[in-house]
Amino acid sequence: MDEEDEHPILTAVSSSARQLYLLLRCINFSEKAHVQISGEGLKFSVDEASAMEGSAFLSKSLFTTYTFRAPPPERNSQHQNSDSEDDPEEAEAHNLPTFQISLPALLETLQIFGLTDPNTQKPPWARDNPTSTAFSNNVLGMNNMCRIAYEAPGSPLTIVLTEATIRTTCDLTTYEPAFSDEIPFDRQSLAFKTIMRGSWLFDAISELSSTSPEKLTLWACMKGRKPYFALSSSGTLGSARVEFNNDPFDQSSRPPPANSNNPSGTAADPPLPTNLLETFQLGDPTAPLRSSYKFSLIQRAARAMSVATKVSVRMDDQGVLSLQFMIEVEPGKVSFVDFRFVPLVDDDEDEGDETMLGNGDADSEEGGATEDEDEDML
Amino acid sequence: MRFKASIQNITTFTKLTASLNSLGPLAWVKLSDDQVCFTIIPEQGTQVWAALSIDTIFETYTVQSAANNVINLEVPLGPLNRALKSALNATSAQIRLTKKDNMPLLALTIVTTSSSNTYSAFPTGGANDDGFDAPFDDLGGGGNRETIITQEVPVRVLGPDVVSGLHEPQCREPDVHIILPPLMQLKSISDRFTKLALAGARTGAGSSAARTRLDMAANMHGCLKMSIKTDAMSISSVWTDLSNPELDPSQVAGGTIGIAEHPSTRMKLLGSADGRSDQGWASVRIDGRDWGKVMSVGRLGGRVIACFCHEHALILYVYLPTDNGEDESVLTYYVSSYSA
Repeated sequence: MDEEDEHPILTAVSSSARQLYLLLRCINFSEKAHVQISGEGLKFSVDEASAMEGSAFLSKSLFTTYTFRAPPPERNSQHQNSDSEDDPEEAEAHNLPTFQISLPALLETLQIFGLTDPNTQKPPWARDNPTSTAFSNNVLGMNNMCRIAYEAPGSPLTIVLTEATIRTTCDLTTYEPAFSDEIPFDRQSLAFKTIMRGSWLFDAISELSSTSPEKLTLWACMKGRKPYFALSSSGTLGSARVEFNNDPFDQSSRPPPANSNNPSGTAADPPLPTNLLETFQLGDPTAPLRSSYKFSLIQRAARAMSVATKVSVRMDDQGVLSLQFMIEVEPGKVSFVDFRFVPLVDDDEDEGDETMLGNGDADSEEGGATEDEDEDML
Repeated sequence: MRFKASIQNITTFTKLTASLNSLGPLAWVKLSDDQVCFTIIPEQGTQVWAALSIDTIFETYTVQSAANNVINLEVPLGPLNRALKSALNATSAQIRLTKKDNMPLLALTIVTTSSSNTYSAFPTGGANDDGFDAPFDDLGGGGNRETIITQEVPVRVLGPDVVSGLHEPQCREPDVHIILPPLMQLKSISDRFTKLALAGARTGAGSSAARTRLDMAANMHGCLKMSIKTDAMSISSVWTDLSNPELDPSQVAGGTIGIAEHPSTRMKLLGSADGRSDQGWASVRIDGRDWGKVMSVGRLGGRVIACFCHEHALILYVYLPTDNGEDESVLTYYVSSYSA
């Protein structure tokens, strides 16, 4: 492999395979992942039955070196629409190398680091271990160098992990991209948008998952001047609801109690302790919004929820749900993992659900604040 | 026919039986005056021929028989290992060959002090930390409760004619010999490779599950390569900076000339120390799961020399660490190579 002469499409070196692993693990629910290489980074996306898709973007800022050379446009003519070459913009977009790889294989490979740590078996003071010196790679923090290379269209995606005196090379077979359209999401006509901590969404979803529900319904409306956001689940075993209320007037009554316990936390992140929902926008503030999704699909994003600092929950006019997770891989360095979900088609049963939720709070998981009570509090 | 010994190193014996047990349920144990041999010959997979010096495991060892003081036994390793596990906290343990209802068995007599005494502020004579001089004289004395456990492992006595047909495999001179990196490290990577291959096979649906062929290769420049191929990927790990021990002219047939003509001398001319060259590799193809079982001997923490006979066999010599610094006990693993 003489990459220097061949001008590979991509060479990228990361000093931490672990960061890449943490991000890619968030979308680990499919055998195959689409990879798109661009000048800005690597985009890994997976989808399930076209009803949900998840993508992780490994920005070039995650790599210590990132060299991308767009392949010449005349290559691979049978797959390319020759008309589009007239338009350089479009030609460029077409030229971005896209292929599929086995995602579990990639994740397993990235995990090989650390396992090979020779110090796990012996205490570090064991003198018969020649790698345990002050200059050992473990001490220098160089034990998970990772190099990613993609030579030319059709060649494998090569991952090279170097650790101490062990070099692991993994050639991932690249497959033709399967024909699949992105789930359309209209950023221009948002019906709803809110931003909150990822862990709160994770807590809510894991709380709701205890009844192994089939459906997750998302509710959002303005109660007077107060935002109201709730997640409710329903299945054969019953239903439950978690509500998120912004309560700017009574800070002590709602979680988190960070104000009283932890003043430093307040200083670091001023808006969060007072408001559960950082942003709250409704396309049409007058009408309550409701949309349902398959619970098992939403649960696929649980890993991302648990590691994300913030999540932006958005819904467009079609009801497509977008969850965008901001994940801090290291202090000051953020990456994004996106999920999109196609809504379930509403059936008549939902009407019954709504009445139930509006009238009785027997099913509610937290607080039990019904709509009436909310209004009373204002 | 008499065999009686006290077990000096219970932990080593337990680990040894555990790792042998992963390769096969029955062991041929040959007790003789100067060494104890454990041999596992499974129907399929890796053979182990272990020759241990007496003091690796035992002390005050006596063996007597009509056939030159050699006793051959067929021992079930699982029950023996379980019996030894109960001796892990023992102050002393004895093993002897005995008979019950005309059935031969190995009886383990294990003396433990009850745990309540372990933390007592003033240890009495019985709580002997160093494990030497088994405190039989303290039995029932003082406030020290001793428990005696007897474990019986049924065995079969093998006649000399039965074992005379068993021979250690003969193999040609190896092309490459190399000291392996720590086995636990190797195992963690090979296990991951096997897992990857199985995951790949699952995706392939139709393909058989037996696609866990690991390729192991080494050269005479301190490199070891382990690789596996599936439809979705091919992955290989290369170790560099390992050492290829020098051959001892007194141990090689033909002395200095023998070394000059040794296959490994020829292999030394090929390949490179960075492991990037395609030449100079002696490789074998082995079963990933079987290899994982072999690697379990890593818990004994010995030095391991691997001898590669290109596309033929891989022989591992595991030298057990001894207190006096001499490698007297060696476990020999014969792993045969699959054809492509």
